Parts: sequence; structure tokens; C-alpha cells
Amino acid sequence: MTSGYIGVSVERDDLAFLDGTACYVADVDREGQLYARVVRSPVAHARILDIDVAEALAQPGVVAVITAADIPETRIPIRLPMAETPYTHLFLQPPLAREVVRYVGEPVAVVVASDPYLAEDAAELVDVDFDELDVVSDILSATTQGTPLVHAEAGTNIVATVPLGYGDVEAAFARADVVIRDRLRMHRHTAVPMETRGLLAEMDHGTGVLTLWGAAKVKHFTRSALSSMLGIERHRIRLVENHVGGGFGVRGEPYPEDFLVAFLALRLGRPIKWIEDRAEHFVATNHAREQEHDLEIAATADGRLLAFRDRAWCDQGAYVRSQGILPALLPALHLPGPYRWEAFSVETRGVLTNRTPVGTYRGPGMTEATFVRERMLDKLAAELRLDPAELRRRNLIRPGELPFSFEPAPITYESGDFPAGFEHLLDEVGYDDLCKQRQVRRASGEHVGIGFAAYTEIGAIGPFEEARIVPRSDGRFVVHVGVASLGQGVETVLGQIAAEKLGVPMDAVSIDHHDTEKLADGFGAFASRSTTLAGNAVALAAEDLRAKAAARLDVPAGEIRFVQGQVREPSGRTIPLAEVGEGRGRFDKPHPTFSFGAALSLVSIDRETGLVKVLRHAVLHDVGRAVNPELLRRQLAGAASQGIGAALLEELLYDEYGQPQSTIMADYRMPTVEELPDIEVIVEERPNTANPLGVKGGGESGMVGTPAAIANAVADALGVEGARVWRLPLTPDRVREMLRHH
Amino acid sequence: MPHVDQHLSGDWLEADESVRIRLVANDQELPVEAPPRCTLADALRDNGLKGTRLGCEQGSCGACTVLLDGRPVRSCLMLAVQAEGGRLETVEGLAAGGELHALQRAFHDHGALQCGFCTSGFLMLAAGLLREEPDAGRERIREVLSANLCRCTGGGPILQAVLAAQRELRGGRG
Repeated sequence: MTSGYIGVSVERDDLAFLDGTACYVADVDREGQLYARVVRSPVAHARILDIDVAEALAQPGVVAVITAADIPETRIPIRLPMAETPYTHLFLQPPLAREVVRYVGEPVAVVVASDPYLAEDAAELVDVDFDELDVVSDILSATTQGTPLVHAEAGTNIVATVPLGYGDVEAAFARADVVIRDRLRMHRHTAVPMETRGLLAEMDHGTGVLTLWGAAKVKHFTRSALSSMLGIERHRIRLVENHVGGGFGVRGEPYPEDFLVAFLALRLGRPIKWIEDRAEHFVATNHAREQEHDLEIAATADGRLLAFRDRAWCDQGAYVRSQGILPALLPALHLPGPYRWEAFSVETRGVLTNRTPVGTYRGPGMTEATFVRERMLDKLAAELRLDPAELRRRNLIRPGELPFSFEPAPITYESGDFPAGFEHLLDEVGYDDLCKQRQVRRASGEHVGIGFAAYTEIGAIGPFEEARIVPRSDGRFVVHVGVASLGQGVETVLGQIAAEKLGVPMDAVSIDHHDTEKLADGFGAFASRSTTLAGNAVALAAEDLRAKAAARLDVPAGEIRFVQGQVREPSGRTIPLAEVGEGRGRFDKPHPTFSFGAALSLVSIDRETGLVKVLRHAVLHDVGRAVNPELLRRQLAGAASQGIGAALLEELLYDEYGQPQSTIMADYRMPTVEELPDIEVIVEERPNTANPLGVKGGGESGMVGTPAAIANAVADALGVEGARVWRLPLTPDRVREMLRHH
Repeated sequence: MPHVDQHLSGDWLEADESVRIRLVANDQELPVEAPPRCTLADALRDNGLKGTRLGCEQGSCGACTVLLDGRPVRSCLMLAVQAEGGRLETVEGLAAGGELHALQRAFHDHGALQCGFCTSGFLMLAAGLLREEPDAGRERIREVLSANLCRCTGGGPILQAVLAAQRELRGGRG
């Protein structure tokens, strides 16, 4: 078979994971390497009076100890222009704390030793004298009068205010028959990939090139960031992606450790290895999600949505990291969702607290916005005594209204059929039957509930991706791309696109996403963008290679074939493929694509314990076109599994002193096969008109509606008391508390 | 360098003083020189068996699961010296004679892995279970698999894969 790969569930080559030969960064070793251990702040907010490294330095095997005094004055930059404001630079993080520490886990010093055990021992002996300061331990107190300041010199704990508006909100509210208002809170949780972060840096003194293994997600940006922070040219830094044990948004951003490990390799002239341990991971790697919304919705008596007003406090943690103000911007963009509002006004604020900085986790902003909006829609349905499905039906934007824009808010829905998608979900799960079952089970005394959520998901964010297809003399093709593989199977998907567009077998194509040396630029793997951006770039590069080859033989591009290292045209003339050069493609994407998704959950509650059990959970997503349906389904199911964990189990708790309470996996409970049902996945393919392949993003969608659907299902199961479901996770103690009033 | 046995009778070792430890992994002698505080996971990984992964070093995630005398252990919570003389099995020994184990094939067929970091641990956990309890029911298998964490798939596909491998292994037994 040499074509027809797109749309086929080609099997992924996963042998290296099955036989143990996969090589993650911890498995890479370099001759003469030393081991770094980061000394972290044990307090949430304090002035550093003194750091005494003498005892640590005197320990066996210890080679160096560095503090802020040993490194240049530099800060980790923001990656996305859209996430940067004139004020964000006030809150950027230095690689090592200078004068003040602002969260538990903030790097204060680094110990380098000949052995990781010895490095860890010595790190315990770095003596830091702290003068503790008052702490901002919650998003709401961050903006109250007289609150402590996380960054005193900035004079405020507000990083950014994101206002979004559409239509005449006052007029719409004035016409409303019903107005409901509530506060809703999404809690702090995060990705927790099974592999912690890790880095290995080595300076090649012959070539003058610094290599950093352990990169992921945004290799090219991290290279640029390191270039400016270290003061060496970009071409002298090479980032290498090894096998990656999960990312989900948190791994592969430039972190303090990326600078520190690279800096130490330069300073000491020896390879430096750092593998994050799990307790560090829980305080050092980006957290996500925590925000509170004050949301007010106006509707007519017959269930037509008119307008909403939202004010939100979105936690940024103690510093603005490489994703800038996305924690405040993304929820704002997702509050309207797939509904036909006449007007809305949104003001989200990114606020600082003395806790681990916040970045993006799978479905960022959209998961939070979907939770608050969909909870409120269920409250509205209850108020109007309307079936929650019917309320949504009446308000989903119709296909004839697309493309639909909420201008001046930068939200445009290009393609899709939201009502058909929603009905598809209800049909697949048998909603009417499910409602009958609910009646029967309730009659026998069970607490069962149904909940759903509809949403839009931003994806396929630009600005562009490039691809190079390099023919080799043995007839194979190497495709260089700038995105990253985090276990999602993107190399299989891009291989399918390349093989189909080149007209060659899959096994003649290999995808190289490992090395910044192989491609001048790349933006990476985030925002469900890899298949859309890199996929279209690969398709263009294949077309370019075909066109170049055809031009050499003076025939139309459609007539040539690539066979065993030759380019052949129909009459039999050939030229060696090696003479054609390489194919290049660049796909620009000035606007993101929003796609439609929906989730439905059936839950039961144990009356004695308050334990919520998810009996059925279904997610639907319009992916435009599924390049590899099976791999996509696995992404959707995996994302939904994480969403169930977020809704019921996982929470990064802090006490009033800013001390983290969840720093081991035993405290941060993630779902296992015991807690999860088999996820039902429904894929819709309504082609995207905005790119040649017709694809939309898909890697995050299963997450986006899941916490909302589960919260709505639990509220439904609780009956009247369900109105009190305003925050997550719905742990047994919280649910039992609500049951008591039942 | 002393052998670890020589110290059992009284001499104290320094924390970072290496001793010789005789490990047997996948039916092969694995002579290890490591301090007594070295974990079994680190000893295996430092001696060429890197397929055993470390996900938490707190005994929670199970990525480091290996079999010791047929029983699953968290190799991050065990010291290498404690495994002295025992028979270890790691993911590297699962495929026999170049042919993948039924579990490895089933994991592939059922999409029981994405990033692959938890896979070695799940394979060894399941291999131990299916050998010890070949007729384990679905709920028993689910219970055992809940000992380990998989962040990418959630674990449902892993359960399907283990059930499929069990069917095949039982069929093979006739």
C-alpha cells in the first residue's frame, strides 16, 4: 500500500516501550558527568539574610555549590507574545532566588557532586537564614486591602486584567426574565506525568556546542531563552528530545533548572545531570487551574440565553512563568462556549500568591471556563424546570450561523455543527433510556445522576510550523519537524501524512522531532496543534518535493513516483532522488481553530461514605478529520481519565502559611483502573475549512468537559442539595457533607 | 572490596562505602558494587538494566516494579543488599528467545501504553499475577493493577490487555 494512509488507524511502533529499551533522559549518561541537586525554599515567603554553603562544600564528592550570587542577573522569558503585557516582566522568575523567596520549592542554591546520593546529602547542609514575611495564601486575599505583596517592588498582586466584551450587556440583562448568580471555584491541580523532569547538559569543547538532553514540547523556544540568558549564540546550543514520559502541558517549558543545568555545564566544563524527584516535582513543576468566578447569567423564561457577566480571580502563583498570562487569558476566551449569547462581559484577573507558579495543563482555561458555565446552565435549567439537555439544545449556535464571531472578542468559530454533535452524544449514550434508568434506580433509593457539558476548545494555535523532507540514497525519507512527541503518537500521524502525500509506503518514512539542529525553527507541542500545524507543513513539504522532482523530468507533479531511490515518470524515465534536493513546507496559522466537544457522565453516590462512582462517561469531539482514528480515541480517553481524577480526587492543597500539603503521590491521589470506567469515545469529522488537511486539534478535548459533566452529574444525584456543588474535587468528605442535609 | 555478607556479623559500613552484592537478574549473574543504602532500582539501572523506571521513589506509582522470587516488589523501596541471593526478573527478561511475551503483544494491541514510562512496571506486575494466579478473575486483576499508576491511558486499556493476555496464556496451556 503506498497511499490511503490518512484516516486509517495505522499501528504505532511502540516496541521500545514494551521491551524496556526506550531511552528517557534519566537513561542518558555522559562520560565524567556530575549530578546536580537543587536546594529549595522550605518557606513560602521570606527575605534571604544569608546562605552558608561551607559545610555542604566540604562534603565528600561535592564539586560546587552555587547561589544567586554566582549567576548573572537574568529571568526566564515569556514564550508567547499574546501572553505578555507591559507589566508581566515585573514578575518573571530568576533561576535562583535573589534576596526574597516567594514559594515553597523555589530554587535557592544548587549542589553539584560526583554521585546523586552525595549531592542530596550535601544539599541538606546548605544553611539558609530566612526572615519570614507574611504570606498570600489564597487568590481572593491576593487583592484585598492591606494584603502582603508577593513582589513588593511591583506594588500590586495583580499580574493582568483581561477584559472581553460583546454586545450590549446592560440591555440584555434588562430584558431578562431570570437572572442567576453564583460563585464557582476550580481547584489547584496539575498534570503529574509519570516521568519527572530531567536534564543533562554537556559542552563539547571541540565544537563549542552545548547540548541539552531532556528537552520536550518547545525545544526551539527553550534554546532561544537559554541563548539570551546564558549569552551564547543560538547555533551553539542544541536541544535533544529523548523519549518523554508524558507532558500534558507542564513538561518542556523553560524552567529555572534548564538554565541552571546548562550554566553549570559551562561553568564546570563537565556534563551535569539533574533528575527531578517526585517530591520536588510537586512544588517545582507548573501547577494549574485554580480560579474563582463570580458569574451572572441572564435568560428568558423559555430558556433562551441572553447574556452573562463574569469576574474571575485566576492564580498565577508566585511568578509569571514562560506561559505569561495564559492562566487568566484562556478562561476568558472560553467562557462563551458554543452558545448564542447576545452579549457578555468578562474580566479575568491573574493574581499572585505565595505558591508554586501556574502554567498550562491539558485543556487550560477551557476546562475551568466550561466547569463554571456548565454548572450555571444546570442551575438555570433547574430554575426554569427545563431538561438541561433541552436548555442547551435551544441555545447552541446553529451550523447556518457559522462562521460565528463574538467580535470584538477574538473568538471565531469557523466550522462544525454543534447541535448535531450534541444530539449525536445523547443518541450514542441513549440519553432517554438513561433518564428512565435513573428513575428506576432512584426509586430503589440510589443516588444516581446524569450530567453533561458542551464546550468549545481552542486548538491549532500558530504562528507556524516548518517541515523538511530529506530523501536518502537508500530510498527512504527523513521528515524533520519542530513539534514534540510526548507519547501521543504524533510521529505515527505525521508519518501517515508524509507517506500518503509522497506516495510511498509508511516504512519508507521516518519522523525526526528530536533535535533543534535539524530544523531552523519550530513552536512545539501544545494547544492541540501538532497534527494541524506540523501535519499541514509536512503535506506542503511533500508537495514541494514532488514538484521539484517533476520539474526535473518536465512532467506534471501528479505523474511522478518515488521508487527505490529514484524518481520515475510514466514513460519510464528516471533520475536519482538524491539529485532533487529536499522538500520544504511551512504552514502559517494566524488564527486558532475552535472545535466543538461534549461530555456526558452517569454517576452514583454511596450514601454512607459520600464516594462518587463514575458508572459511564462519554466524550464527543469534532476533530475535523481523524488522521489516525484509534490514536485519537486514545488521546480523548486518556484526557477524560485525567478529567475524572481532577473532578473527584486530585488537589494541590496549601495551608494558611503557604505550605504545600500534597507533595507525595500518596497525598495527591490520581485515578487508577479501580476508579475509572471504560471511557466511551465518539469522534466526529466535520472538516475544518481553514487548512488543507481539514483537521482540528484533539489531544486535550477529553479533559475539557469532563470535570463539568461529573460535577453536574453529582449535583443531579444530590437533588436539591446539588445546588451547593460549587467547587471541585468532589471528594467523599465534601459529598457526604452535602448528603447530610439531604 | 568486602562482600556484603562479611558485614552481617558486626562491622559497620560507612553510608557510601561500596560492597559487592550478588544479584541474579533474568537468570544471569549481575555482580553489583554499591553502597548498602543503594536502592535495588538504582543498582539495576546502574548496571545496565535501565528498563526499570523510577517515577516517584516513594513506592506509589509502581513504575519500578520488578519480580523478586516471583513476587512483585517496588524496587525503589528495597535496598539492593536486600535482594542478595534472590531471583530477580525485569522487563528486559520478559521476551523469551526474541519473541515478545503475550503481555507485551497484548499491550501493543490494546493501546495499553502511550508515553511508555509506566509500562515496564505494569508488565512485571501483570506477569507476576498471571503466573501466580493464572485464573484470576476480572475484579482481582483490576484490583492488582490498581497498585500502579498510568497517567496517559488511565489504566482501562491495561486491564483489557491483561485480560487478553490471560486468555491467550490459558489457551496455550490447553
